[in-house]
Amino acid sequence: MNRSGWTPLLLGLVVGLAAGLIYGWVLQPARPTQAAPTSLRSDFQDEYAALIASAFAATGDLPRARARLGLLPGASDSDHLNALAQAWLATGRSESEARALAALAAGLVERTATPSAVAAPTRPPATNPPATAAVTTRPRATPLPTLTPGAPFRLSERDLVCDDPAPEPRIQVIVLDAAGEGVPDILVQVIWDAGQDQFYTGLKPDMGVGFGDFTLAPDTVYTVQLADSDAIATGLQAETCTSPSGETHWGSWRLTFVQPEAP
Amino acid sequence: MPSKWVRFAIGLAIGVLLGLGYAWRIQPVAYYDTAPDSLRQDYRADYILMTAQAYRADGDLRLALLRLAALGPQPPAGIVSQAIAFARANAFAADDLEALQRLADDLAALPAGAEIDGS
Repeated sequence: MNRSGWTPLLLGLVVGLAAGLIYGWVLQPARPTQAAPTSLRSDFQDEYAALIASAFAATGDLPRARARLGLLPGASDSDHLNALAQAWLATGRSESEARALAALAAGLVERTATPSAVAAPTRPPATNPPATAAVTTRPRATPLPTLTPGAPFRLSERDLVCDDPAPEPRIQVIVLDAAGEGVPDILVQVIWDAGQDQFYTGLKPDMGVGFGDFTLAPDTVYTVQLADSDAIATGLQAETCTSPSGETHWGSWRLTFVQPEAP
Repeated sequence: MPSKWVRFAIGLAIGVLLGLGYAWRIQPVAYYDTAPDSLRQDYRADYILMTAQAYRADGDLRLALLRLAALGPQPPAGIVSQAIAFARANAFAADDLEALQRLADDLAALPAGAEIDGS
């Protein structure tokens, strides 16, 4: 075949190649069935994280939850999970998922704060995401503080705190079990004349897993109650503190609820 | 010797095949902001397993159905059955298989045409 004989073949090849690429990339791209969780849209990533938390709440398997969170960018950060839990509550999403997210965030912090845990080789999670398919090590389980069933909380201390670094006055709630350990995931209800709100302990694990807070508006009187408990604090109002130099600033209320020891 | 049109057609066919192969197999379009129904099979199975684990604890079949609905329009029981097949093929733990099987059984017990109450 001489040179002119190759020309139609090459021309057809070039035209066909261009047509194939346009069809395969633009008109009919390959259907994405090979996606990893990291490529999910951000709202789906949030739902994925909530599902991880729900599975963790069901199984208590923290290493597995951690491995799963590792598939989502930034989701292994307890602050991210706390923010997500807050957003879940604020937008009226599933309360159980919000609690699960808060519990998982608290669990991550607990585990991080247990450096003495002994690492032991173990099998990878039974599921098979490639990112966790290698043999991993996991610390031995450190159980989260849990409630003693049947022992209701009692308001132990009610203090006006004048050295709170928060810029606005707030109610700090600290919930402790009978052993003096913070208890996360406790629903706290705040009621005032014109409305009510609620929050969970453990959403700010850097302040302690039994900690929760609520910003006060001036000239409003609040009542704070632990859900499913008759522990209640009434007449809480933003009050001013006076420093030694005579300057005044807002103080915060600190309420400490404690679970009595079981008889 | 075939005419030049025949040679052009042969080149065109080869070119189209090469172009499609490159666009679909070698360098497919990279997706981002995808939905859960695009998850790879192993991630998909893990998603279903998490749904089954949560369902085993809370017993909320409606919530489980909503979660499975994110994986595509297939019947939920079929989605879970695929996950069970994958789990068996990949030697998932017995506890995981039990959770999946329980969800599959409860979905199978749903009356035909049962709808998810989205309210």
